[in-house]
Amino acid sequence: MTTKLRFLVAAGAALFALAIGVQTAGAQALDRILKDKKIRITAEVTSPPFGILDKDNKPTGSEIETARQLAKDLGVELELVQVTGPQRIPALQSDRADLAISSLSITTERAKSVWFSSPHGALSIVIGAGKNVNIKSAADLAGKKIGMTRATLEEQVVPKVAPPGTNIVFFDEHSATQQALLSGQVDAIGGAAFLINELAKRNPDKGIESKFTVMTAFYGIAVKPGNYDLLQWVNTWVFVNKQNGVLAKIYKEHTGVDLVDLPAL
Amino acid sequence: MRLFGLNDFLFILSATRWTILLSLLAFALGGLLGAVIAVLRISRFSAVRLAAASYVQLFQGTPLLMQLFLIYYGLSLFGLRLDAWTAVTIAYTIYAAAFLGDIWRGCIQAIPKEQWEASRALALGYAHQLFLVIMPQAVRIAIPPTVGFLVQLVKATAVASIIGFVELTRAGQLMTNATFQPMIVYPIVAVLYLSLCWPLSVWAQHLEKRFRVENVMGRRK
Amino acid sequence: MTYVFQFGIVFDRFPELLEGALLTIRLAAMALVLGLIVAVTCAYLRMSGPKPLRVLVGAYVEGIRNTPFLVQLYIIFFSLPGMGIRMDANQAALVGMVINFGAYATEIVRAGVQSVPAGQIEVGLALGLKRLQIYRFIVLFPAIKAVFPALASQFILLLLGSSVVSAISANELTAIANTLQSTTFRAFEVYIVVTLMYLAIAVAFRGLFAALYWCVFVRGRER
Repeated sequence: MTTKLRFLVAAGAALFALAIGVQTAGAQALDRILKDKKIRITAEVTSPPFGILDKDNKPTGSEIETARQLAKDLGVELELVQVTGPQRIPALQSDRADLAISSLSITTERAKSVWFSSPHGALSIVIGAGKNVNIKSAADLAGKKIGMTRATLEEQVVPKVAPPGTNIVFFDEHSATQQALLSGQVDAIGGAAFLINELAKRNPDKGIESKFTVMTAFYGIAVKPGNYDLLQWVNTWVFVNKQNGVLAKIYKEHTGVDLVDLPAL
Repeated sequence: MRLFGLNDFLFILSATRWTILLSLLAFALGGLLGAVIAVLRISRFSAVRLAAASYVQLFQGTPLLMQLFLIYYGLSLFGLRLDAWTAVTIAYTIYAAAFLGDIWRGCIQAIPKEQWEASRALALGYAHQLFLVIMPQAVRIAIPPTVGFLVQLVKATAVASIIGFVELTRAGQLMTNATFQPMIVYPIVAVLYLSLCWPLSVWAQHLEKRFRVENVMGRRK
Repeated sequence: MTYVFQFGIVFDRFPELLEGALLTIRLAAMALVLGLIVAVTCAYLRMSGPKPLRVLVGAYVEGIRNTPFLVQLYIIFFSLPGMGIRMDANQAALVGMVINFGAYATEIVRAGVQSVPAGQIEVGLALGLKRLQIYRFIVLFPAIKAVFPALASQFILLLLGSSVVSAISANELTAIANTLQSTTFRAFEVYIVVTLMYLAIAVAFRGLFAALYWCVFVRGRER
């Protein structure tokens, strides 16, 4: 059964590669994965609801489940490669992982270092702060201390909208950024809307709320530059699972909101 | 989502074994390499001494974090892809050897020159002088600072978390993110480190005292 | 596709790295001076102070030496505000470094003091000096001389260990490096350059200490 599926998938990928005129000589990554019967995918387990540890401290979250589904469809064993946020891209570059499925938002900056698939999910970056902090738009950030986590989308987009006089400080871990807001070391933080909501729910006494949306972004699956064959298969996989509703189901289950319409890359 | 519970405590506790295992591995292998470094540093050939000293300077003079990153991610750019265990073992061996080599060199040099001269007068060769006369004395002085370094090593294993290695500190970070309660998690992490390191510290002090009393017999009031 | 190194991107942003390096040096140098004051005081209290203070200093030294620096920083930066003590990240980093270095240096200075021959102290007593005077005028100088290399090594550890303070958003060398690598995605180039910068700083400080030792302890004695 699985061998048959694997054959079909491999054949499909090969056909796809031929169809768009890619040299099959470059098709090594996918072959190797199929031969080893194992795919290595990044797991970033410190950013709920995308990746987190469950009650039994097993990895879970929308991105982890996406990785599981993908490995299952490919018919190979899944090896989760635990990474920290900033190590998602180095892990690909250094061949530690075949794919990065860790809510990696698609940006032109990142695309210089890795290749993205069509998006399989969406998130918005918001500014979160306590009720008594007066922030309504980007202009109000002037003179305030804003915390955010390095190597995230917010690190790229918030400084661009912040007016001069905004004091932006960076932390290495989401937990440190959140703690900085809770302990009053910063006035506000930038982050995924999900994270701000979770923080608000967990700390009702602080009255944390989303002040405004900085931008909405789409995240995709990334491969090491050069792995045409793998990327093609992943794109096919995203296309199929967008159509059959599997991606939307995983997304809804973990984030609690409906997945918006995903554009193609 | 969830509160910090027994399960989470056990998760952190079980990650402690990796901290212990990594410390032991680094100490054992780093000790072997460190002994070689120490001997090379007192070599009669200045080129050898210089090479060993440069090694110590290089690895004591750069952050462990950078060393680990370059060994794990950097070497794989050149096609040498090490798995996480191999990478941390190599990085920590190199790191521990730099410090132990330096500590032990100091201990060997602390042995009075007359000991070398006396053993030479007995017509012992260089190796015999070193291993039969000097080393047995140096080892005694070396034990307290060596145990002291072990404490430093245990805490240094925390850096392995940057390559996704789940030891005590990383386990703490993971639990902070899962439970949103850093002010419970970090004190627990601190207490676990304390329970690993404190006995070693006490032991080192005890050894130091014991050896000192013997050394300063004539000086006691 | 093999990886192509692009150091140009890193060198374009070199002024930022340099600024981070300067903060690293400043933090370490200030922590050295303040930490030594803490150490000399605590070493005295630990050996000759009243019993409760002795116990207190002992608890401070052991508590700090046996727990990771990162955890100490988190407590200073995130927990102290709850008790009304608020510092910005760079101040918290400095306080953390002083407390950390102070604990190690206390033990080192104490070992140095104990290495001073008892005869010297007896001479002081015979001259009718008080305890504090003996400590200040007779014991301290040879004690520091004896442990100078150990203090210098501990300082280098402090310097390199300061790379951890980026975790609480202090913007020293490692913090700048992390920001740089996450915006340029050139982690390897950034880390190689930064590693060399740390090495240069460490080597420079070692040279400085060797010169200091020679000026204060060697030349002084020849005179």
